[in-house]
Amino acid sequence: MINDDELRKKFEQIIEQHKGILYKVARTYCQNDDDRQDLVQEIMIQIWKSLHTYNNSFALSTWLFRISLNVAISFYRKNEHRKKNTIPLPEELEIMYVEESNEKQEMLSLLDMFISELNHIDKALILLYLEEKSYAEIAEIMAISITNVGTKLGRIKEKLKSKFLKLHL
Amino acid sequence: MNENDIKQLWQKSNEKLEVVLRENKINTEDITKLKVQNLLSSMKPIKAFTLIIGLIWVIGLGSFLAILTVFHFEKVSIFFLFSAFTQVLLTAVAIVVYIYQIHLINKIDFSEPVLTMQKKVSELKISTLNVTRLLFLQLPLWTTFYLNEKMFVVENWILLLLQFVISISFTFVAVWLFFNIKHENQNSKWFQFIISGKEWQPILHSAEILYQIEQFDKYE
Repeated sequence: MINDDELRKKFEQIIEQHKGILYKVARTYCQNDDDRQDLVQEIMIQIWKSLHTYNNSFALSTWLFRISLNVAISFYRKNEHRKKNTIPLPEELEIMYVEESNEKQEMLSLLDMFISELNHIDKALILLYLEEKSYAEIAEIMAISITNVGTKLGRIKEKLKSKFLKLHL
Repeated sequence: MNENDIKQLWQKSNEKLEVVLRENKINTEDITKLKVQNLLSSMKPIKAFTLIIGLIWVIGLGSFLAILTVFHFEKVSIFFLFSAFTQVLLTAVAIVVYIYQIHLINKIDFSEPVLTMQKKVSELKISTLNVTRLLFLQLPLWTTFYLNEKMFVVENWILLLLQFVISISFTFVAVWLFFNIKHENQNSKWFQFIISGKEWQPILHSAEILYQIEQFDKYE
């Protein structure tokens, strides 16, 4: 039986090594910094609460993506009650992007905007695709067939491409 | 812009994100100190307050009615007893259903596959609408509790006719709402009129997710 201290160490290790997943999910699902911070914290709380149920039958990243995406999709705006129970994260974390050329920055903003226009499920699929997850891993995270991953992703990619095309990009 | 350009753009933003994150440590200790939510603390104060008031109402009125029935049955109007008992019963059932649903929602495993978990949680959240449906069934009871046997005389026919029309209308509305308050009707104006306000937004959000999952499954 794992004790509290060991669990805490394990939690800190997981967050330290995989915090990128949390922020990428938050970036995909939230448009403003306050919501992003709230969402990251919600995900961390859920990881902490679920940690004792983790078993090695899944890759850690699969488990983390499942929790992060489930929290993000269920996440429904912040409210005063929850706000009182949140801990402010370091301010520097709000800076998600460092300086970049105007053109690249514009393209990034457009990509974020187009992804934000997708529905909740499509957002999860495109995020996993862009994170270079294999179709088998995506299928495992989402609970859909591998064939279906291919079909759905094909449609989403077309949608994104046509949005860029409309802007002659 | 082709598929590879989009991927490269994403990777580029990730590289920058990694740089920023490396320079910042999150205080995970604070998170682990957060109390694991219990049923009551996970609810909004207004919902917890409503639940407590509901429990007091059921226990208080239920006990009062039980005493009346046992010790003063002959003196009390049967209309009052029937209306009040049914109202208490419906409220009690609604409270039990609500607590059970909140308990199930809080027990949901977030590490389940995304579509499985989302379907489960959305259906559960939407099913809290059942509580509202049950509570609407009480409507006609508020038009009968004040009646008594002495009122049923020929001289009162106008009053009785009016009473009949009101009770039948309330019954019709209650039964109609009971069968029609469901997420499939969420785009109807009457639904949006009744189910509006901040408190209902999470349920509407769940209904939207469920709709997206249903659409997703449809084209599989």
